[in-house]
Amino acid sequence: MSVYKRANTPFELYEIDILNADDETLKRISEELGLNLSINEMKIIQDYFKKKGRNPYDIELQALGQAWSEHCCYKSSKYYLKQYLFGINSDYVISTKDDAGVVEFDDEYAYVVALESHNHPSAIEPYGGAATGIGGILRDVLCMGAQPIALIDPLFFGNLDIEHSTLPKGVKHPVYLLSGVVAGIRDYGNRVGIPTVAGMVFFDESYLTNCLVNVGCVGIVKKEKVIPSKAGGEGDIFILAGGATGRDGIHGVTFASAELSEKSEEERSAVQLGNPIMKEPLIHACLEIVESGLLTGMKDLGGGGLSCAVGEMAFSAGYGAEIWLEKVHLKERNMKPWEIWVSESQERMLLTVKPKDVDDVLYIFKKWDVPARVIGVVKGDKILRVYYKGYLIYEMDIEFVTSGVEYCRVYKKPETVEREEIRDIGNYKKILLKMLSHPNIASKEWIIRQYDHEVRASTVLKPLQGRIGREGHGDSAVVKPVDDSWKGIAITADVNPWMTKIDPFWGSASAFDEMVRNLVAVNSIPHSFADCLNFGNPEKPERMWEFVESVRAIGWMAKNYPLPCVSGNVSFYNESPYGSVAPTPTLMGIGIVEDIRRVITMYFKKRGSAIVVIGETNHEFGGSLYSVITGLKSSNVPKTNPEKLKNYASNLLDAFKRFKIYSCHDISEGGLAVALAEMAISSNIGFDVNLSFVELFSESNTRWVVEVSKRDANKLVEFFTDNSLKAKVIGFTDSELNYGSFSITIDEAEKSFKTGLSKYLG
Amino acid sequence: MEKDEIRIAVMRIEGTNCEDESVKAFKALGVYAETVHLKQFYSDFIKEEEMRTIWDYSCIVFPGGFSAGDYVRAGVIFSARLKSVLRKDLEEFIKEGYPVLGICNGFQILVELGALPGFDEDRPIADKPEMALSINDSNRFECRPTFLKHENKGKCIFTRRLKREIVVFPVAHAEGKVTFPMGREEEYLNTLKENDQIVFRYVDKDGNYAGYPWNPNGSYYNIAGICNVKGNVFGLMPHPERAIWKWQLYSDIDLLVENDFWELEGNNEADGLAIFRSIVEYLLKF
Repeated sequence: MSVYKRANTPFELYEIDILNADDETLKRISEELGLNLSINEMKIIQDYFKKKGRNPYDIELQALGQAWSEHCCYKSSKYYLKQYLFGINSDYVISTKDDAGVVEFDDEYAYVVALESHNHPSAIEPYGGAATGIGGILRDVLCMGAQPIALIDPLFFGNLDIEHSTLPKGVKHPVYLLSGVVAGIRDYGNRVGIPTVAGMVFFDESYLTNCLVNVGCVGIVKKEKVIPSKAGGEGDIFILAGGATGRDGIHGVTFASAELSEKSEEERSAVQLGNPIMKEPLIHACLEIVESGLLTGMKDLGGGGLSCAVGEMAFSAGYGAEIWLEKVHLKERNMKPWEIWVSESQERMLLTVKPKDVDDVLYIFKKWDVPARVIGVVKGDKILRVYYKGYLIYEMDIEFVTSGVEYCRVYKKPETVEREEIRDIGNYKKILLKMLSHPNIASKEWIIRQYDHEVRASTVLKPLQGRIGREGHGDSAVVKPVDDSWKGIAITADVNPWMTKIDPFWGSASAFDEMVRNLVAVNSIPHSFADCLNFGNPEKPERMWEFVESVRAIGWMAKNYPLPCVSGNVSFYNESPYGSVAPTPTLMGIGIVEDIRRVITMYFKKRGSAIVVIGETNHEFGGSLYSVITGLKSSNVPKTNPEKLKNYASNLLDAFKRFKIYSCHDISEGGLAVALAEMAISSNIGFDVNLSFVELFSESNTRWVVEVSKRDANKLVEFFTDNSLKAKVIGFTDSELNYGSFSITIDEAEKSFKTGLSKYLG
Repeated sequence: MEKDEIRIAVMRIEGTNCEDESVKAFKALGVYAETVHLKQFYSDFIKEEEMRTIWDYSCIVFPGGFSAGDYVRAGVIFSARLKSVLRKDLEEFIKEGYPVLGICNGFQILVELGALPGFDEDRPIADKPEMALSINDSNRFECRPTFLKHENKGKCIFTRRLKREIVVFPVAHAEGKVTFPMGREEEYLNTLKENDQIVFRYVDKDGNYAGYPWNPNGSYYNIAGICNVKGNVFGLMPHPERAIWKWQLYSDIDLLVENDFWELEGNNEADGLAIFRSIVEYLLKF
């Protein structure tokens, strides 16, 4: 006998017999309905319905599949996030509970931060996956009532030189994925008119079968206008606004909560379709409604669609809800009620408004040609009821659905062998040119120029800096969010997966260090950060160990710096039968620039100024570019220390006020050798220094290189040494790249830098 | 007209996205500017206080962006909607000498509308487009700073307050290549030259006419911006509203070499503001 029984309704609805189901049947139901729930979870549901004395309808099980997915309820990560990372609040953090973090900017304004992954969809359909990633992150910021002001895109792909014939079955070539992802970000970001100001692109073989597409967004809002992601009060009306609901993006979250395989292509329908020209007016309309004060709550429809948005809005407010599903405007006919309920169609926002304000709100949407409908009402009891054409098809306690499940997953340190093969093999010139042309270092101009990084006309520091025609990469982007203030926001995204792969603890700590270095380098005060934690399958103890080590390191750095973590996202299951991605905790740092007229760029400004290295250089090559280029292994990932980092950062920020510092660059991949080359290439001004092997290529943390007027150079060094910190004049700016033991012309260096990535992309 | 009589309309539909910064450029000069949705000119459900006619304004600006998504060809959909509801008014508006500015997508719209190159003073909006802004030679969207040489001898009312011969405005477009009917390029060029309609041409950092990337799209004769025969309709691909303050150009060393970059405070104004100032000065004498 079938467990699926057609209900006596004039539309397609099934009652599912779980009351009498044994383990095997429960497992089968979960699989056949695409719920991706475990036996244990199915049993909890069975018990719940036993108490209710009835079987669930398909829509109820589907809603639970969404709400209890890894993507929605963080069931594997919550335990460790709470233990290590949550609760580093500063008095200027306004909220971290909603879809995006809200942090004080000045007396009047707050900035809003969100960072997310859109990995699985992008691996299957790079263009649509990346575009809807942008769409989703914009909504996360918008739903706080904020105007989005900047987009950030950290991307991770397999190596571009892989032969097509060696690609595992069902895997798309990294060049195809990169081109598609960049085009998706370009066509969505540029069309909605929000500048893409920063990001990173990293290539490593571990991303071959799972590329990572992380998307971040920063917004600005008047503090008094911040909109909570929860329902206003009993009797408030739910309005669904934006694009029509279709079958695209069904089961997106459950799809994202499992490993990819060669069959994943068949789930292309889990990828949503984006429409930036619906999003652009939706942003305007929502902000106009926010400005007019007609809203009591707002939330975007992301993973899980209506099922998650309604549930979470009502749950956070301590209310229930009644929804009339036939009111939802649809893209296609004959959609089943459960499909409407869990569809992840894009460009949709859910609002709650007081009944008296409904007409005014609908008028504003109409003016912007944005469809909007009343679809339900907030109820006093904590129960969610869904009606379709008059039939009650869903009735569950909100808390049962939305609070989800939580696991304390076991973890185990994998067996590793400590290695230290690094030695000076000479050949500096050849090695340096190889470094400059490595796709992780080489100019990303081919990508960056396709993004409009200055629409809104408030970008102060752009992603490419230097002499026009030969620009290099800046350390952080800076935007000026408020017209009548000189204050700015600096933004950077950082992680070095080569380091986290060898040592997830010190690798993650290094990512934090680099983030702070990049913020400080442009003369901004580190203020907050968001994390996007991309890992493999958490059900495997060794993957879980990587996650726990990484979170522990970030928490340790953040607590002791201290710097609040205001928003985040966890993406597990970035894994296929061919392996897992390198642990990738992407960190997005936000700094406050006190006066944007005092920002500092990374390119040399004039010949004859002094070059000073701030910080300590040790023999640390684990995960370094030198190690990758030469094939000499090292487990010694650079160490760091939050108090020391803070001390250096504060003193450097102070030094910017005291001395004539012309340029500043952080020292990271490729060490000082690459940092100096970048400063020279983008300015056409060289240098004359004399560096040892370790000084050239070590990637020790907490270091910067600065260009300072000759007259101030010794005073600058003294300023640091007086505070028991290290600083040293290493030479002067000049005409070529003269490292002491070898030299290169600027043109030669530029050629490697310019063509290293573009040669694969044409 | 008096300064407080000046009213600037920055036109928007779905997908236009540079309207706010365009409004800000005018506001920086102390004149009234507002964004206006095309709907406010004709739709019957719009509240009365939000209804507008073209004669409420002294200048119309078509801003940058991707109007209606630009999925057909850049500017086509917006210009078609304009033709259906505002063509007559707009033609009259131009004939009377009011300024009309199109930046980037706005330039594309004015070209598709037939308002540029605008050879006929009596029929300022041609029946069909006479030129095109076609896909960049690189076949990609390009966001980069460009050097522009100002070559207008005085016809164009939008550049009369420009102090320097070479300025830097950024471009950000995928379709910006000035293209004339095949085989008649010389003829068009000569007419433009004779009428003093050429306004900006792309040059390299030393001021020489040069190819990619200095000419970012492959435009014929390196043309970046032109005006109509009367000088009161102006379209350009680069974005002057993104270059009205020096801080918008900090990333580019070339703009800083002539200043001591340590002393960036003081006069904060950059060349882009001169375009908007020229409009205001023109209207003050109007």
